[in-house]
Amino acid sequence: MTTPTESHSAASVGEGQGLPTGDLWRTLLSPNRRAVEEKRALERLLVAWSDAHGKADAAVYAGDDDEGLLCRAKVGDAVFPVRLADAHDGSDDDASSGWKRLELPGAVLLHTAQLDPDLDRPTSSTHLLLAASMLISQLKRQIQEQSFQAMFRGVEQESLYEVGLAIASTLGHEGLGEEVLLRAISLLDARRGALYLLDQTEGVYRLSSSLGGSARDDFGAGELCSQSLAQGDGADGVPEDLVPGAHHILAVPVEIDSDPRGLLLVADKESRSGVGPFPSGDRRTLSLFANQAAIALENAKLHKLALEKERLEREMELAAEIQQQLLPDDMPDIPGCTVQGWNRPARQVGGDYFGFQELDEGRWCLLVGDVTGKGMPASLLVSTLHSALSVLLDHIEVDAELVQRLNRHVCESSASNKFITMLLAAVDPNTGHLDFINAGHNPGILLRDDGSVDELGTGGLPLGLLPMAQYKSFDLDVQPGDLLCLYSDGITECEAPDEEQYGMDRLVDLLREHREEPLPRIIEVIDEAMLSWAQGQPQGDDQTVVLLRREAGT
Amino acid sequence: MTESLKLTVDEKDDGLAIIHTDGYINNQGGEEIARVAYDLIDKGHKRLLLNLAKTKIVNSIGISILIEIIEKMLEIEGKLAFCSLTPTIEKTFHIMGLAQYAGIHADEEAALAELS
Repeated sequence: MTTPTESHSAASVGEGQGLPTGDLWRTLLSPNRRAVEEKRALERLLVAWSDAHGKADAAVYAGDDDEGLLCRAKVGDAVFPVRLADAHDGSDDDASSGWKRLELPGAVLLHTAQLDPDLDRPTSSTHLLLAASMLISQLKRQIQEQSFQAMFRGVEQESLYEVGLAIASTLGHEGLGEEVLLRAISLLDARRGALYLLDQTEGVYRLSSSLGGSARDDFGAGELCSQSLAQGDGADGVPEDLVPGAHHILAVPVEIDSDPRGLLLVADKESRSGVGPFPSGDRRTLSLFANQAAIALENAKLHKLALEKERLEREMELAAEIQQQLLPDDMPDIPGCTVQGWNRPARQVGGDYFGFQELDEGRWCLLVGDVTGKGMPASLLVSTLHSALSVLLDHIEVDAELVQRLNRHVCESSASNKFITMLLAAVDPNTGHLDFINAGHNPGILLRDDGSVDELGTGGLPLGLLPMAQYKSFDLDVQPGDLLCLYSDGITECEAPDEEQYGMDRLVDLLREHREEPLPRIIEVIDEAMLSWAQGQPQGDDQTVVLLRREAGT
Repeated sequence: MTESLKLTVDEKDDGLAIIHTDGYINNQGGEEIARVAYDLIDKGHKRLLLNLAKTKIVNSIGISILIEIIEKMLEIEGKLAFCSLTPTIEKTFHIMGLAQYAGIHADEEAALAELS
């Protein structure tokens, strides 16, 4: 299309003064004109029309979507309505208001003057000019609207891209759910929205984030019909009153491999005239955001698990360090006796403990303990046992009273589900007299020189179960050549692949077979026996052995 | 049941006014901004600053209303600027072409320097 020149336009319309100039045409046809310039151009055109028709007051109307016709420009002082009903409804109500109506192609002209019948033909050149300018105007508006929509699709693409980038980053997952919800609401022109996340352990969807209005705090997984949700439209499958007061809901599942993780919903699609239902294409867009949310949530979960694992590993390392410091570095030198202790934790940090402490008059205390559980909590309880016992042994005899006090202390300083089994023995190397208290621990083995066995059986409950528990001490005489073996249940309950336990009898037989050998060698033999019995199975529990032999000739 | 946009207006003496928005700029929010902006224009303010520091979300209806306000400002040969936008809203305004007709600034100080 070429822009007519001033002289050409004047010549062609042939209606004298006031006709559109080239400048006006340029304004009307310019692809970059502003709305305000267009309005002024239309007003000038209307003035020309008015002049040509005896100075009538006039207004031009053109379509505005489905809302009827909107006044685009007016001249004169007459009061014209801002909006008219549809141009083709055939009604003639306008006449009663003092204006006349003239149908133009693509527009309506309201005017106050009686038209010359000759001019009141659609072919009248000013009519055609007005009609042409209105059509151009309409086309411009359509192009602008399409351009606006195209740019907004650009915003949508950008949004999805940015959410994707945020997900790819390992940081900032905390607010990602809310970010996805905000973008979904914004891009779908929803008035409200909510994101629910499924608490899989309790089977409850909890509100994670909402915007634009109140939403229910939670709902049971049973209230959601996944099949209807997947296949239906709008709010199918969604519990009622999830977003109170909403008229139109669009909801999609948030899922990973068909495994439900949450629900993303938006409500009330906005337009300039109010709210309405969402068109079918919006479901796809919302699903794209739900997928992004699902990936973000999964990443966040994995990230959290990785951090938790890292934290646990650090904790285990620290606990292992503490535990290692509690176990004796060197074996004590006890005149007339040899002693040897050994511990192999099942995992990095175990709940087994052993120790030696010198008492008065050359006597020595031997101890093996086993705390329930593993890791830092078990390690801290071992630490409690170690320090409390060190203090108590300085002041109290190895007897029932000492263990009762120790028990009360453990009860006060440990969780209710934590307890310790312990075998505490005090030996006088000069006389061979042995006092012991067994608090729920495996019976110790005293292998006599003649091969017979005396057991160091139980004298009370494990420590930490009952504050008022009572304990009983027993005594034995250790003869020269006798071998004392204290151990934890990780030895006797060591399992073969067929789940058969190693048992106390095999341990006694092993001790009998190797009783003459140096204690480090006996430890080696026990170690080998455990590995051989388990046949490569992972070690189920900590393994601890303390050996004491009263040497012959003392 | 629905939450609406909150507005506070700071009218300066020299024909400048600052509108602070708090909430969602959608159809309702946009119309509220337009109502306040047109009132200010009627009162003679020809320079308007929209501070969106407390707005996290804008939809296309809200943007179309903002464009109308921009057009109105052009019509009266006034000036409109935005400040304190979230990165998402700033990017959206650039893509939608608002930045061609209205200044976009990091904060009020920078915006006022341009509007003055």
